[in-house]
Order: sequence, then structure tokens, then C-alpha cells
Amino acid sequence: MKPGASALRSSAARLTLWYLLILILGVGTLLGAVYWATERTLLVEVDRVVEAEHQALSENFDDGGVERLIMVLKRRSDDWGRLGAVYLLADAVGVRLAGNLSAWPQNVRHRDEWLEFELDAHEGGVPTPHAVRARVFALGEYQLLIGNDMSERQRLMARLRSAALWGSGLTTLLVALVGWWYSRRVAWRVRAVAEACETIISGDLSRRLPRNGSGDEFDQLTMTVNHMLDRVEHQTTVLRTTFGSAAHDLRTPLQRIRARLDSLLPGDDAAGSAALAATPLHEAVSDLDRIQRTLSTLLQIANAESGVAQQLQPLDLVQLAQELIELYAPVARTRHITLEAAGGAAVEITGNRQLLAQLLVNLLENALKYSPDGGRVVLRATRQGGHAVLEVSDQGRGIPAALRDAALLPFRRLESEPQVPGSGLGLSLVAAVVRLHGGRLQLHDNAPGLIVRCEFPAAAS
Amino acid sequence: MQPKPAEHRMQILLIEDDRETASYLVNGLRQEGYAVQHCADGRDGLFTATESFFDLLIVDRMLPHLDGLSIINLLRQKDIHTPVLILSALGTVDERVAGLQAGGDDYLIKPFAFAELLARVQALLRRNPAETRSISVVRVGDLELNLLSRRATRAGREIALTNREFKLLEFLMRRVGQVVTRTMLLESVWDLHFDPQTNLIDVHISRLRQAVDRDFDWPLLHTVRGAGYMIREPSAG
Repeated sequence: MKPGASALRSSAARLTLWYLLILILGVGTLLGAVYWATERTLLVEVDRVVEAEHQALSENFDDGGVERLIMVLKRRSDDWGRLGAVYLLADAVGVRLAGNLSAWPQNVRHRDEWLEFELDAHEGGVPTPHAVRARVFALGEYQLLIGNDMSERQRLMARLRSAALWGSGLTTLLVALVGWWYSRRVAWRVRAVAEACETIISGDLSRRLPRNGSGDEFDQLTMTVNHMLDRVEHQTTVLRTTFGSAAHDLRTPLQRIRARLDSLLPGDDAAGSAALAATPLHEAVSDLDRIQRTLSTLLQIANAESGVAQQLQPLDLVQLAQELIELYAPVARTRHITLEAAGGAAVEITGNRQLLAQLLVNLLENALKYSPDGGRVVLRATRQGGHAVLEVSDQGRGIPAALRDAALLPFRRLESEPQVPGSGLGLSLVAAVVRLHGGRLQLHDNAPGLIVRCEFPAAAS
Repeated sequence: MQPKPAEHRMQILLIEDDRETASYLVNGLRQEGYAVQHCADGRDGLFTATESFFDLLIVDRMLPHLDGLSIINLLRQKDIHTPVLILSALGTVDERVAGLQAGGDDYLIKPFAFAELLARVQALLRRNPAETRSISVVRVGDLELNLLSRRATRAGREIALTNREFKLLEFLMRRVGQVVTRTMLLESVWDLHFDPQTNLIDVHISRLRQAVDRDFDWPLLHTVRGAGYMIREPSAG
């Protein structure tokens, strides 16, 4: 898993993003509702205060007329002016009679029967605008304005607003951070598991996935996978040991048979050796050799398929190919087959020299076996991107496309060619060696003939 | 196969648990003139190998009580450097390498032909300084190999050889009078450990023979039927 573009593709990151979005919506709605309800409550309270004042002042007016009202207003503006109450009593044409307002307010906004305006109050000699919410009541032919200073409440609302903004901002940030950390952690754990799996795939069956012991679902999954790996390792070990002892138990009797046959063979001084070569005794010995070779090849396949590549060393495929071409060139020449190398610069890989040589030997022997006399066998080692590519091509009959996959399985041979000698294990061993080196094996058409293409991870240069 | 050295009978210890294989090897080696002692399990083998002197040990890898590689390890720890030929039913490349790394001098996979074993036994026993010494000229009869100038001459006439043919000839000449098997050649000259299915080595030898023997009066390079090849002084033939 790569960071960057694919970070958004990780399920944890997506989950976090959705979570963040829903949380912001939720917190926003909640704070919005609180803000709205608080504002309503404050307004209703102001309205009640104003209503109550109106009630009381109306009673004064009813009891003692306008003189009594003026007196009460004077007293109130002296005593309670600081509490934020605003009064103005005017006659029918708007001339001020009493109250703590010096004149009828300017720049008034009407909201239903309410007026809202600003008032300059002197606080410590500095004129400060105060928002006032007021209502005008008719008392006989007089008009009475009763209002309330809203600036305290507005300050409260402003504070509430900023608290809401800060709160939701910080929450968002915190959730984003936690989400980022969490998705990183999930990605890290998934990456650790993926890396461990890669190592295991490449053959190290003793490797286990890292556990953190927390018992969470990841930990449980890890435990299950590790348990599965225990089983696989156990089975592989059993298989290898069984194979090893089977080989031992088969080879010892083979050795005895060989010994008995050897003792029956006439000494090397015997005349007429050409005639002897065809006796049943010699045929038995060569059958024995064939059985031994098949057994060795099977063992090698089993070992390569189940094991980790050992005795790895950096080596140059071009050089190895040339060595084997040189080894096989005289044999090829006896059948007038051109055996040539293609490719120039060194192609370095990390591998087991003997196994790779065995791979090349199998491919070359196959190619020579199926080539027509006078044909051409080309061995090409090249570097293509991050891969070291080894190709052996012949001009034989090739393998029909439909049969190519099956050709890599042990003991599969083309039914059309029963007369060509061989065990049917050559390509399986090649496939096993390629897999052991973390490579890929492909069969292609050489039209006519076969191209066997082995791709290996190239050594870092 | 070879005239037996009468003056000193080589002492060989065979540690092998399979009775039939053991008796076949003991008989075969005795017929070839070697003094052979046999142990059927690992502990006895180690004890015997430590108590008396042997020129060569032939050790099976899988043994009761103590396996072959452990025996070699313990012997080498005791500073006993007798050459060891390992016999094994474990025949993969990695196991061969493990065997040689443990201190074995050669490794033979079962089942093997007696001729192959004999050739390797002889090679290990006669492993003389000429094989590895840094000498500059190797001579057999009138055939001369100059290792410094990489030139081969026979009866004073220069023979044209490829690098590999030169190596092949050098390997054979350094073991003059010894049988060298095809697998030994493949292992030593090409550093490859596999059973060639074709007549791979024979073709190389016949090309070498063309170069070395064709235009001359007597052959030096001989085929030993059922075993391998040998370069021999003309007088010894």
C-alpha cells in the first residue's frame, strides 16, 4: 500500500472522512439549536419585562394621571437607569415630557410592534452604542416608550457564537487528527500483515504475522492466520520429511540392486563391449539410472517447491548462459544445430547457481531434443525493466496453446510424441526453480517452435 | 583396474548402516587392494575413526545414533583431517553443499556405480601436491601444458585448445594414471552438479582427443569402459 493518492482509497480513511462529516453536521446542528433557543429565550424575557413595566406604569397613569406618571418615571430613571431600562413619555405631537431618553430615537427599525435602535450611552466619558429593544404604548393622548438595553444580551450571544465556532472547529480538528492517526495505524497494520504475507509467499514458512496482543479484531484475524500458517508449515515439514525418508528408503534398495547388477557385469577388460551394451543386464542398469534420475528430479522439485532458496549469490545470467552454451555447443554441432546466445550487457540476479544451471540444462536439453537437425536454438538473457528475462527458443514442434499450462505439470508429456525419450519432469523442475526465485514462467509460440520465457526479479544495481 | 600399490595398503574406514551395501563396498574395495574396516552405526564409527589411523573415511549421511555430518564435524574439531567421502540418499544441490561445508571432501549420491565410487576413492587417496600445487608446467609423456602461458604442446608442436579444453586437459593431466568419471569432470571443470542425460562429456572428450592424440603415434587419453577417462603415460599402458 502506497501513501498519497491511495491513502484516500483506504477504507479506514474513507470511514474517517464520513465520520468527520457526520460529526460536523451533528455538532453544527446541536450548537445552532442551542444558539437559537437561547436567543429566543432572551428575547421573550425582555418582552416580559417590558410588558410588566407597561402594566405597572399604566396603573400609575390610571391612578394619578400624567403628573403621577412623570414623577414615577423620574424616580425610576434615577434609581434604575443603570439596569438598562429605557423610558420616554411624549405628548400627542411627540414632545418629550419625561424619561431617561433626551429625544425620540432616530434610525429606528420596526419589527412587528417592536422598535430596535441604538443609543449612545456615556460609559466613563466614552460614548458607547447600546442596542435597545422597545415598544410604544398609548396612554390616553400620550405615548409611552418602554425599552430595554440589549447590549448585555448581545454580548452573551456573541460569546455563545464564538464558543460554538471554536468548539465545533476544535472538535473537527481533533476528530480529523484522531481519524488520521487511526487510519494510519490501520494502514500500518495492514501493511505489516501484507509484508509478512509476501515473505511467507516467497517461501519463508516460519515467518508469522506480528501480533499486538490487544485482542481486537485485527489481532484475532492475525491469530487465525498464524494458526493457519502453523498448519501449513507443519504439513510442509511432514511432506518434506516424508519425501526425504521415502527417497532414502528407495535409494538404499536401488543401491543394493545396482550392487548386485554390478557384480554380475563382466569386468571392463572383457572383449566385445559393443555387443554387451545391448544385454538385458545393461538395459537393467540403464533403467536403474533412469529411475534414479527421476527420483532425484522429483526430490529437487519437491525441495524447490516447498523451500526457501538457499545458497543465494549474485550472478550474471548472461555469463551462466554462455557457460552452458559452451558446454552444449559440441553436442548441438553433432546434429548441425546452431546454438547461440543473444543479449549483451550483464544481467545480474540473486540466485542459486546450481539450480539455475539445472534450469538452463533442462531447457537446453529440451530445445535440442525437439529441434530438427540443422535448426537454431537461441538462448537470450536480457534486462527488461525491473526483470531479468531468460528466453530459450527452438524451432521444434512447439506446444499447442491449449496445452501449455498443462505442460508445466509433472509427468505431462505431449501424447503425440511418445517416441521422444524423457521423464516429463524437465519443465516442472524449471517451473519450480523459477518460482523458488520469485519469478514467472511463460511458454510462447516461436512459429515454429517453442519459446520458454523465465522472468526473474533483477538484482538491484 | 590399476596395479595395486604393494608397499602400503591404504586403510579405509566405511561407516554405513545398510548391511548389504556395506558388504558390497567392503568386498569391492578389498578386491581393489584396500584394507577396509566397517562400522554400522555413527557412534562406533566416530570412535574407530578417532582411535586408529585411516587414509580415507567413507561415511553415510544417515546413520543410527550419530549422523554422518556430525561425525565429520566432531572429527574436524579434534583436528583429524582424514579425507571424507560422503555417501547420501539425500541428493539435492543444497544438501550436497551442506555436506561439503561440514568438511566432507566429496559427495556421492546413492545409488552409484562402484566404478564411480572407486574413481573418487582413488582421487581422494592420491590427492597429491601435484593436483593443487602452483606449478607452471604439467607433463605427461611428450605432452606438455604450460599453465602460465596457457599453451599446450605435444612433441614440441603446439596444440590449439579453447579455454575449457585447456582446463579439461589440465584436470586430467594432474591426475595422470587415475580414472576420472564424467560426473567428476562436470563437477570440477564446469562446476556443475547434475547428471547429464546426453553424451555431453563424451563429445567434449572426443574433441579434446582429436586435438591431443589424432596426429601422434600413440594415444594418451584413454576411455575406461564403464567408468570414465584416464590420461596415461605411454609406458604404463
